[in-house]
Amino acid sequence: MTEPEAAVTREILRIAREDLRLEGQPAPGEALASRLDSLALLALVVAVEDRFHVILTDDDGTRTRTLEDLARLVAARAPPELLPGAAATGVTP
Amino acid sequence: MPRTLHPAILSVGRALPPNHVDQETLVAALSAYWGQKHFNVERLADVHRAAQVGGRHLALPLAEYPALDSFGKTNDVFIRVGVEVGEAAVRAGLAAAGLSPADVDHLWFVTVTGISTPSLDAKLANRLSLKPSVKRTPIFGLGCMAGAAGLARASDALRAFPGDVAVMLSVELCSLTLQRGDASVANLVATGLFGDGAAAVVMVGGARANGARVPRVVATRSVFYPDTEWVMGWDVVDTGFKVVLSAKVPEVIEARVGADVDAFLAAHGLARRDVTHWVAHTGGPKVLEAFRRGLDLPEAAIARSWRSLREVGNLSSASVLFVLGDLLESGEARPGDVGLLAAMGPGFSAELVLLRW
Repeated sequence: MTEPEAAVTREILRIAREDLRLEGQPAPGEALASRLDSLALLALVVAVEDRFHVILTDDDGTRTRTLEDLARLVAARAPPELLPGAAATGVTP
Repeated sequence: MPRTLHPAILSVGRALPPNHVDQETLVAALSAYWGQKHFNVERLADVHRAAQVGGRHLALPLAEYPALDSFGKTNDVFIRVGVEVGEAAVRAGLAAAGLSPADVDHLWFVTVTGISTPSLDAKLANRLSLKPSVKRTPIFGLGCMAGAAGLARASDALRAFPGDVAVMLSVELCSLTLQRGDASVANLVATGLFGDGAAAVVMVGGARANGARVPRVVATRSVFYPDTEWVMGWDVVDTGFKVVLSAKVPEVIEARVGADVDAFLAAHGLARRDVTHWVAHTGGPKVLEAFRRGLDLPEAAIARSWRSLREVGNLSSASVLFVLGDLLESGEARPGDVGLLAAMGPGFSAELVLLRW
């Protein structure tokens, strides 16, 4: 996992913990569906789309089994200025 | 108890507000609110399409909702429109039963979408010129289960007063509980599912049923699930009722409904195979599927509930009564048929009603 992907992982976990207050947060390599019920998973997906300005399709859903998968997809697709740490380099998220 | 002493259901009057809006129009209207809060507005549309509801009847024309910016305003509409659709449902039910408002001895009223004191049943007593001795029982807070629970409690009362007439009215104007500022997923799901309507069950005590080919309420059973208050309900906020909805609802239903129904039926010498008519609350696609799987029923067994869901959405406590009304109107039930009416709601709990034609 690259550093941007790791940073996205940490940010998704922060969203789940602080913004959504979800119970049963997944470990990076763990299947999302095994830890989150359907509404919680949907809430997380919506929050990730809002935070990173990405659109996650049904096809993405079938390919994104774990938190690591999700973080990789977001890191590859999100506008660079919205990735964690971008603000520290002078780019406003 | 001899069959003739069981209370009987004569009719179910149903009423819908005149403002029908199809699901795509509602999605477009709500997208205008939530598009500013969510990056992917199409997801709202996906969630609403997943509800499999074709459209909803609304208390007000769609254009009038933006002006409802306080709980006071929405609740005023609840009282005004609730009385109108409630009266229409009661009059329809009484007419179908061949009774008049002057015959009503008990008026039960259930809702979870608005409040008033005096409650709407008092306002209806005036509008319908009910007799001064009418016994009024308003019930608030049972949510989607209240149609079944109210029917059950009314039948309890009619066992004590077997010569009396009872009307059990449900009025639910779910659209008035819309929280535009709540962009949560639970609210997204709820706004895709719930509609407005009223239903009035007209019942008579066993001494008054005259052997007509109508269903008798043979027995009822309440099932309370301890420590599940968090599963569903309202958070009461400054702008009204904010929905609490857990994804665990279908899970709880699927895990429990089979054993609960079996125990209830067994107490009356019956089993699932003896039930011809399943009258299930139209909670939503996942709730209906959980109910069907939990009882191992064929899809056709709850087709009537699916149809109601698609036509008018989840009407909260009125939903199961709409399905019952549809069954009565169809004339499908034959003497001796057994029916089971079931609904679940905040508590979390279930209400089961055993019917026999």
